[in-house]
Amino acid sequence: MLRIAILAFTLALTPVAWADNVTVFAAASLKEALDAAVHSFEASSGNKVTVSYAGSNALAKQIESGAPADLFISADTDWIDYVESRNLIVPGSRRTLLANDLVLIAPATSTVQVKLAPGVNIAAILGDKRIALANPDAVPAGKYAKAAFTALDAWPAIESKVAAADNVRAALVLVARGEAPLGVVYRTDAMAEKNVRVVDTFPAGTHPPIVYPIVVLKRTTTTAAPALAKYLEGAEARATFEKFGFRAP
Amino acid sequence: MLTPAELEILGLSLKVALWGLAVSLPFAVAIAFVLARKDFPGKTIFDAAVHLPLVLPPVVVGYALLVLFGTQGPIGRLLEPLGIVLIFRWTGAALAAAIMGFPLMVRAIRLSIEAVDPRLESAARTLGASRSRVFFTVTLPLAASGVITGALLAFARSLGEFGATITFVSNIPGETRTLPLAIYTYTQVPGGDAQALRLSIFSVVLSLAALAFSEWLARRRHPADSRHA
Repeated sequence: MLRIAILAFTLALTPVAWADNVTVFAAASLKEALDAAVHSFEASSGNKVTVSYAGSNALAKQIESGAPADLFISADTDWIDYVESRNLIVPGSRRTLLANDLVLIAPATSTVQVKLAPGVNIAAILGDKRIALANPDAVPAGKYAKAAFTALDAWPAIESKVAAADNVRAALVLVARGEAPLGVVYRTDAMAEKNVRVVDTFPAGTHPPIVYPIVVLKRTTTTAAPALAKYLEGAEARATFEKFGFRAP
Repeated sequence: MLTPAELEILGLSLKVALWGLAVSLPFAVAIAFVLARKDFPGKTIFDAAVHLPLVLPPVVVGYALLVLFGTQGPIGRLLEPLGIVLIFRWTGAALAAAIMGFPLMVRAIRLSIEAVDPRLESAARTLGASRSRVFFTVTLPLAASGVITGALLAFARSLGEFGATITFVSNIPGETRTLPLAIYTYTQVPGGDAQALRLSIFSVVLSLAALAFSEWLARRRHPADSRHA
């Protein structure tokens, strides 16, 4: 009787023992799409996934300080390099997961027309208003925007007209509320907010490719972490990501 | 010792904090007086509303300011034709700083007004002084230490304001990038740690100076207060 009880007890506990917790640190711009992909992974694998979203820079610093993350998905290569150079990732685990586009947006009610070509005169359109960017010195979305405007010879004229937001979604809010007549965000952000419209897409050569590298972090102890990384690279997850506006790299 | 960029950041921070203080002080004295001396229906709710910035997450205050005082907001829309634009301007940073420091100021001033003996005010009234004369020549001088303490607390709080500021006026060098925003920006840039540390030290020195000054004033005024009582 006791033996049966122990067996039943063990069996009852087993699924819990098999199910692992995976903690993912992911760039803020991945929120809706990654939530959806992770949800299907949880349903099919039985593992529990916790995702912490923030700016890639903040996440990289937290990982350096020993934050308990198993996977890291950054919105640019710089901060993955930063983590890699500190010897914090599993060698060979780095993959390019997704790609995104950079777009110029305006409030949905605005009728402004801009063609993003060399010499584009953004300052004239802004007048005394400001263009909302994620911080161009630190946050990837802002750094891409600065690179793109520099390539179009437009940066010196708008540098003093930048409203530097804390992250790309904060810049999105400023445009959606009509406080900034223009802003630069990722295509996926623009698609998630109905109060903005895409004015034009930055030509591919004007900024470094916008890619989202994924790495498995060294401190991970669960096999569910590489399993999740593999799942996110698979066809099922890719279809989910594409629904939200991401591209294959 | 200070680079031009650091001087600009410190100067802007002091400008924002001082203007925020100057604009909010008269309102703080008036509201503190009402809370200390008057009873009216809804006083508890009014009191709670005044204290709200003290307990709300600063980002909520910043977002509320963005919604109300942005050029598309109900208040901002009325101010814009008058040439008053707050969003993305240092004046908006001063407004955010003033609101975040306001409850601290009101609390300190209210306590010191409550400590003023109402019989002194009554005596002045019986001698023919008008209400406003009583307030400015009896109540306010006796409550001066509370006013100064409250102002310094609010000033120190303003110097540290971050969440409401970055949400409302964003992070613009030379316009709204005050000391805490500059420190935050440097921590976000690879290799900016040393600069962030330097600015953090200025921040500690400034805050300690403000607190020490308020302590010194409180001590200096204390004998005078006991003589009146």
